[in-house]
Formats: sequence, structure tokens, C-alpha cells
Amino acid sequence: MEEKEIQDEIFAYLEKMKGKKKLKEKDIYKKMMADHAELDKNTVKTALRAMINVGKVMYSYGGGASSVEIPSEEYLKEKGLI
Amino acid sequence: MSLPERQTDVGPPHFEKFLPPVIKENYGKWKSHEVLTPGTMVHTAESGDQIHTVRIASPRILATETIREMCDLAEKYCGGFIRFTTRNNVEFLVSDKAQMDPLVAELKEKGYMVGGIGPGISNVIHTQGWVHCHGACTDASGIVKAMMDEFHEYFTTKTLPNKVRLAVACCVNMCGAVHVSDIAVVAVHRKVPAIDDENVGKMCEIPTVIGSCPTSAIRPNPKDKTVTINEEKCMYCGNCFTVCPPINIHNPEHDGVAIVVGGKIGSLRTSPKFSKLAIPFLHNEPPRWPKVVDAIKNILDVYAANARKHERVGEWIERIGWEDFFKLTGIEFTFQHIDDFTFMRDTLRTSAAFKY
Amino acid sequence: MGKYKTPMLDELEKGPWPSFVTEIRKAMNTSAMPEMAEDELGQLEKSYVTKKGYWKHGGIVGVLGYGSGVIGRYSSLPEEFPGIAHFHTYRINQPSGFFYTSAALKEICDIWDKYGSSLTNMHGSTGDLVLLGTTTANLEPLFAEYSSRGWDLGGSGSAMRTPSCCVGMARCEWANIDAMGICNHMTQHFQDELHRPAFPYKFKIKVSGCACDCVAAIARADLSIIGTWKGDIRIDQAEVKKYADGGMDIQSEIVGMCPTECMTLDGTTLSINNEQCSRCMHCISKMTMALRPGEEKGATILVGSKAPIVVGSLISWVLVPFIKCDDEDFALLTELTENIIEWWDDNAKPRERLGELIEVKGMRPLLEAIGVDPQPQQVREPRKDPFFFWSESDFDK
Ligand code: HEM
Ligand code: HEM
Ligand code: SF4
Ligand code: SF4
Ligand code: SF4
Ligand code: SF4
Repeated sequence: MEEKEIQDEIFAYLEKMKGKKKLKEKDIYKKMMADHAELDKNTVKTALRAMINVGKVMYSYGGGASSVEIPSEEYLKEKGLI
Repeated sequence: MSLPERQTDVGPPHFEKFLPPVIKENYGKWKSHEVLTPGTMVHTAESGDQIHTVRIASPRILATETIREMCDLAEKYCGGFIRFTTRNNVEFLVSDKAQMDPLVAELKEKGYMVGGIGPGISNVIHTQGWVHCHGACTDASGIVKAMMDEFHEYFTTKTLPNKVRLAVACCVNMCGAVHVSDIAVVAVHRKVPAIDDENVGKMCEIPTVIGSCPTSAIRPNPKDKTVTINEEKCMYCGNCFTVCPPINIHNPEHDGVAIVVGGKIGSLRTSPKFSKLAIPFLHNEPPRWPKVVDAIKNILDVYAANARKHERVGEWIERIGWEDFFKLTGIEFTFQHIDDFTFMRDTLRTSAAFKY
Repeated sequence: MGKYKTPMLDELEKGPWPSFVTEIRKAMNTSAMPEMAEDELGQLEKSYVTKKGYWKHGGIVGVLGYGSGVIGRYSSLPEEFPGIAHFHTYRINQPSGFFYTSAALKEICDIWDKYGSSLTNMHGSTGDLVLLGTTTANLEPLFAEYSSRGWDLGGSGSAMRTPSCCVGMARCEWANIDAMGICNHMTQHFQDELHRPAFPYKFKIKVSGCACDCVAAIARADLSIIGTWKGDIRIDQAEVKKYADGGMDIQSEIVGMCPTECMTLDGTTLSINNEQCSRCMHCISKMTMALRPGEEKGATILVGSKAPIVVGSLISWVLVPFIKCDDEDFALLTELTENIIEWWDDNAKPRERLGELIEVKGMRPLLEAIGVDPQPQQVREPRKDPFFFWSESDFDK
């Protein structure tokens, strides 16, 4: 799978789960590896990190634990990304 | 004005950049040290080289202005080499012995407290309190200040049978090492949290909230998309509040502090110990918490009068027995002192031999 | 003075101990945003009156690419105290052993005055150099200024937390291991885990050079690394005599307090039955001129300690009684650490600390995962009850 495809799927998964369950990085690895037998953890991790580095996805914190989320518009403005 | 290029994952600078030459040369080759006064000591290396240390107290919350003043003193007397200790004291690392006394003199003149070394009271480990944390049900810095205004002579001159480590935590999360201090203050709640039903549904994951409760006191209330708390099971730990802000544990009337004693970190003589409950509750009395200070003073005085040399508070209490500790200190023994949570089995007495 | 009357806090500027209130006041002199410290004082005075805090739960703030190092903090009374509507914490990873030069500290202060409240915690209880109070907008500039000068952020959230250590070999004759070297190495080795919170919960590493444990590793680190030795305590009898001549009652203060009763005193000659010594550090710490640890150095690895949330506090348990720490880049220790973390990361539920996981699963799976044999040094006493598990592999023995 191309990195771009992986990233699109990660993004779609995050969108689907938004407001339902807070996802940790590991939940994303598991989901991607379950859907695509050929993927390993490091490939998914690299793809995810690349998204985080440009603010497509971000780390969030709440309820005493960290998770991965799609950033709000406010956050993107703050970082000068939109 | 443009900003410099950011870097990621570089970590902190290597400590070697900040070591005085005499430490670099004798790294790992120290032979002995001698405590000269409660605020000064000298370490001697195998090579015969020496480094002198001058230690002062800090309130931990420091303005940059104060840090700069300390830096200026370090530049004047010890080549700018300065460090902090694990208990938030400040240390000047003096390579030229002749500079030590003038440094001490100027520090004292400027009102700094020189001390903290040896069998007395060093700085108080404490947490953020009302100064900065949402969870705080007391102000840690305020209690520390009130305590140390009273006990400062144990920092600068007076000694005790051994070190007495004090700590203050502003909630049971205990972002310090309160659970293993000789005498410590920990802020506690005494009332079941109030639930803002509407916002629980909006802001919190219900299963997480239920799972957060160590005593399974929280039940779902699916009809109103919220939760309910079983008052008989709740022991006011506040964990549900941590995971779900609309469950409000704060209750200024009923919040206050407990005092715990007898904890110990080092493995010297006896194993490390947890601190145990001495006084279950005292009200918050800002700005100076007089009852808290008095209670600690009482425990300190009884310890100082009764412990053997080198005995820590916990070792002394174990030798005389807890029944004697309550007798000597005059502290009332209550239902709250008898563990009915995870450590009950280990703490009830299983012998017919005890003192009155 | 200032915008607010603060009679309660003024009370705490009196007395000999250095005053945090004075520090908050002083911050107004240097910060580009003096209203921050001012409103902090105003709100704090209100807390002293009502006995109630006015901070909201942390929000989601940080620097791009990282999930750690910044703690969001907002006043719940932003209209009353606009200066602290944002009052975030910026955690700078401290140099191991908390050593600085004045030049480095002054540079940190200069940047902080420009972008923050001028208030600090030197240091936070995990170890970071804590900068207290800035706005969301200033986070990226702060990160650019600090990181470009070699000062990275520390950990927070469900991540590796900033490792911390005692002063160790830099200035302590009792250091059996290079506590600062190990701390720095671990910090650098786990940069990704520090900055990007992918763990089930926090994971703390602390390193002390000996059993005095000056960084309280045994009480507040998931992984406590504590220096120790094997072999005989080195005795300098001439120095023993000096202690005696100086008035020390060696019989009662040293020999009599040795927990294993392995010391004897004949006149002023001290002998130790080293086979029986538990290496507790009592005698050495009291007679540092005369006694020194044995020469085969290493560390004891203990795991699991934590504060009381949720089912009671834990003090770390012995996992590996002795491991050498003098190899290149602490390779043995680093590998062990990675294996422990991997086991925890694979098995823990969200918000479950290592100690809690061990309570659920028992020590055996962890010992098997890291390939360490059961040893009497790992327990205070063997189990009391007759209910125990067997697995197929035990029958082959
Ligand atoms: C007179 C001999 C001693 C000297 C010179 C000494 C020196 C120090 C130093 C330099 C620190 C700060 C360490 C750092 O910032 O990294 C410290 C902290 C500490 N020392 Fe010692 N130490 C001595 C004896 C002991 C003994 C005998 C014990 C154990 C009973 C002990 C337990 C501790 C603890 C628990 C801390 C601080 C832990 C905390 O932050 O809560 N020390 N000591
Ligand atoms: C489940 C337990 C804990 C929770 C939920 C928790 C939560 C928090 C929170 C919300 C803050 C922010 C305070 C602020 O706004 O400045 C904080 C600060 C901090 N916590 Fe914890 N904490 C816990 C246990 C601990 C422990 C056991 C330690 C250390 C051994 C620790 C170390 C720190 C440090 C270093 C800070 C920064 C401020 C300070 O030094 O006081 N935390 N914690
Ligand atoms: S002890 Fe509690 S209230 Fe205090 S800083 Fe830590 S989490 Fe906040
Ligand atoms: S305060 Fe603690 S015991 Fe009470 S309901 Fe909340 S989590 Fe449960
Ligand atoms: S823990 Fe031991 S080696 Fe480290 S500073 Fe304390 S006494 Fe020295
Ligand atoms: S280190 Fe402890 S056990 Fe060993 S001889 Fe000294 S006092 Fe005894």
C-alpha cells in the first residue's frame, strides 16, 4: 500500500470514530493491520507520524490520557495551517 | 522578527557542558565528603582535588529575576556553575575554596537561607496547589511557606536525630513523594462529587468514567445519558473528576488536609516505608494553616525528644509501636485510622502482644 | 501596589523562609506580559478567601508534531482575570543532574521573559524545568527559540516521562553507577516515546546511584534503577580510629544499627562479614571517610512504584537483583528497559501503570518476557497460600 492510501484510511477511521471512542496510536495500528495483512506496525507508524508532523492529525489529551484526533479548525488557525 | 529554525527530538543538552572543570576531571572518582556546616560541604577526589558546595533554600516557584540574581552570584564566586537538587534547593559549585566564605556571607546578607545538609529539615517537596492546578484542594506553596517559617532553624542550624523529609501534595494524585515522606500533608476530599448530568453526557465517555472508579461506585444512567454514584461506596478519591470534569469533587467547606507520617525512601537499616495516617483531617485555614503547622510541630518535637540518634521517624515509630506514637503525641485515634481499603489485611493487628 | 488588594497573600511575604508570593510579584518586573503574574496573584488571593481553585481542566495545546511537554491551563474566570485566561505550562527537559551554567540559565530566562510570565518551577517533581504560564499563541515561538538552542520539551500525557536522576558520579562518592550518564542516555534513546504519547499511560524512569536513593526512584518511578555493588566493603582502619577518637560511638551508632548484625568492633578495629551484609548503606553513609562500597558495581532494577491513584500507592518491587551498567551505551540496561516497556505496552489497559499490570498478571509473565529467572531476592517471603498456577513448561523440569 502507498503511504498516501494508508493515510487516507487512517483519516477516514478517525473521522468515523470521532465522538465515539478516543483512539490511541495503537488502536490505529491494530485496525490497519487487521484490515491489511501486508502492513506492519512501523509502516503504519511512519505514515501516521507524517500526518502528525504537518497537523493533519494531532495528539489530544483528556480524561487523564492521550489520544489521536483530527484537529479542530481553531487549532489549524493557531498553527497557521489554514 | 523571524524565529530561529525549530529542531525536534534533540533532547536536553548533555550535562557535560555544564560541569565545572574539577568535576569533569574527577567524574566518578570522588573519595569522600565532609559536611562543614548545614549549608556547606566539601567533596574530595582520589586525586586530592576538592569541590566545595554551598546550598540555599528556594521556594521552587522562582521569578526569572531571582534566577538571574543567583546566576550573578555564581558568576562572581564560582565561574557561573550552579545546580539544583532533587529537593529543589540551589547549589553553588565552588572550585576555589577561598571564594566559599565570601559567597556564604553575601548570600546571607541578601537574605538567602544557607543550609539543608545533614540531619535536619531540607526543602519541602510540594505540588502546584491553587497556584496552577485544577485538581488542588489546598495551596501547597502556602502551607510550605507557613511550615518553614516555623521550622527554618532545622534548615540552617538545628539538628534532629536524622533527616526529616517533609512534603505537601494538593490532592491524592500526589505529584510529589508524599506517600514516602517522614511527615507529609496531603489534601483530601470528604464528600461525594456533584454530577452535572447534562455535561457528563456531552463531555465524557461513560464507560471510561465507570471504569475510573476504584470502588465500583459509579453506575450508568442511560436514560439521562449520565452516571450516578453510590454514596456508600465512594471514598472521594476524585479519579472520576480527573477523567470527567463535570463530576465535581471540590467542596470548599469539606475539603482539607490529612497528615501522614513515617515514610522513608532510602534502604538504610530498614526497607523503604509508606507514610501512614496520623491525622485524618484538618480544615484549610489560609493563609497560614496554623493547626497544620502546630500538628507537625508537635510530631517533630515528640520525635526529637524520643528517637535514638540516626532513627528516622518511621523507624522510631516502629520501635516504640503505633499505640505509643498516639499516646506520646496525644493524637486522637479514630475509625479513619483503621484501613478498610486495599491494605486492610496487612495492617490489622494479629498478635495479643501490645502496649497500653 | 498592583491591581489587586491581597491581604492574605501579603501575610505570606512575611517571615524568614523565601516567599513564593514575592516571586510571583517579582515576575511582573521582567515579563513582557506583566498582567499574567498580576492576575495570577489576584486569582490566588480569591482562592485563599474562598478555599477553592479557579483553574479549568487542561486543554489540548502543544507544539506541532509533539503530543507532550505542554500542559494546557485556563482560568475558569477569564473575564475577571484576563491575564491568565491562558496560563499553560511549558516543560523543558532538564540536563541530567540539574547542572547549569549561569549563561545557559540566563538565556532560558531571557526567552521566557519575552514569551511567558517570568515564573518558573525549578524544578517540577518529575524533573523538568517547568515554565509556568504562557499563551497558546506563544507556544510555537517558544519551541523555536528553545529547541534551536538545544533545549527540547519533556514528557507529559500517556508517554515516557522525562527521566531524572541523582547527582551521582558528578559529586558523590557513593555512586555505584553513572546515574547522570544513564539518565541522559535513556532520555536521548526514548525521544520518540517522550514526545509522542503512544503508551497506555505514563511511564517514569528514575536513576539513583546508591540505596540512599536521593531522587526517590523507588517510590515514584515505574522503572527504578538503583546502584549497588558486590564484594567487600572497603575499610580504612586508620579512619575508623579517627571517627572513634572524634567521639563517635561506633558500637551503638554503627555496629548496633546494622540491620544484618554483620559488623563487629574490636577496640577500634571494625570488621564486616560481607557475606551477610545487605548493602543497605547505613554504615557507609555515617562513616564516609572510613568505609567505601565494594568494587564490583552494578544496579538493582525495581519496577512498579506509583502514587496512590487509584488502588493505593506502590513502592517498586525487585525485578533484577543485579545488572552491570558499565558497558558501551548501557546496552544491557537499555535492552532490559525496552523489553519491560514492550511487555507493559502490549498488555496494559488504558491508564494502567506497570505496577498495576503486575498486580493483575503476576510477576511470572513479566519475568518470562524479559528472560529473568525467579530468585529469592525478588520477594520478602514466599507465598503463604496453597493456590498456585502450573504451566506445561514446569512439568518438563
Ligand atoms: C551526609 C551525607 C549525605 C549527603 C552529602 C547527601 C547528599 C544529597 C544530595 C546532594 C542530594 C540532592 C541530590 C540531587 O539533587 O541529585 C540529596 C538528596 C537526598 N538524599 Fe542524600 N545525602 C546524604 C545522605 C543521605 C542519606 C543517609 C539518605 C537516606 C537516609 C539520603 C537520602 C536522600 C534523599 C531521600 C534525598 C532527596 C530525595 C527527594 O528528592 O525526595 N541522603 N542528598
Ligand atoms: C494519577 C496520578 C496523577 C495525575 C492524574 C496527575 C495529574 C497532574 C496534573 C493535572 C498536573 C498539572 C498541574 C499544573 O497545572 O501545573 C500535574 C502536574 C505534575 N505532576 Fe502529576 N499527576 C499524577 C501523579 C503524579 C506523580 C506521582 C508525579 C511524580 C512523581 C507527578 C508529577 C507531576 C509533575 C512534575 C507535575 C508538574 C508540576 C509539579 O511539579 O508539581 N504526577 N499532574
Ligand atoms: S497533587 Fe493533584 S492538585 Fe496537586 S498538582 Fe498534582 S494533580 Fe494537581
Ligand atoms: S470520587 Fe473516586 S470513589 Fe468516588 S465515585 Fe469518583 S472515582 Fe469513585
Ligand atoms: S543516591 Fe546515593 S549516589 Fe546518588 S546522590 Fe544520593 S547518596 Fe549519592
Ligand atoms: S551496609 Fe548495612 S548491612 Fe552492610 S555492613 Fe553496613 S550497615 Fe550492615
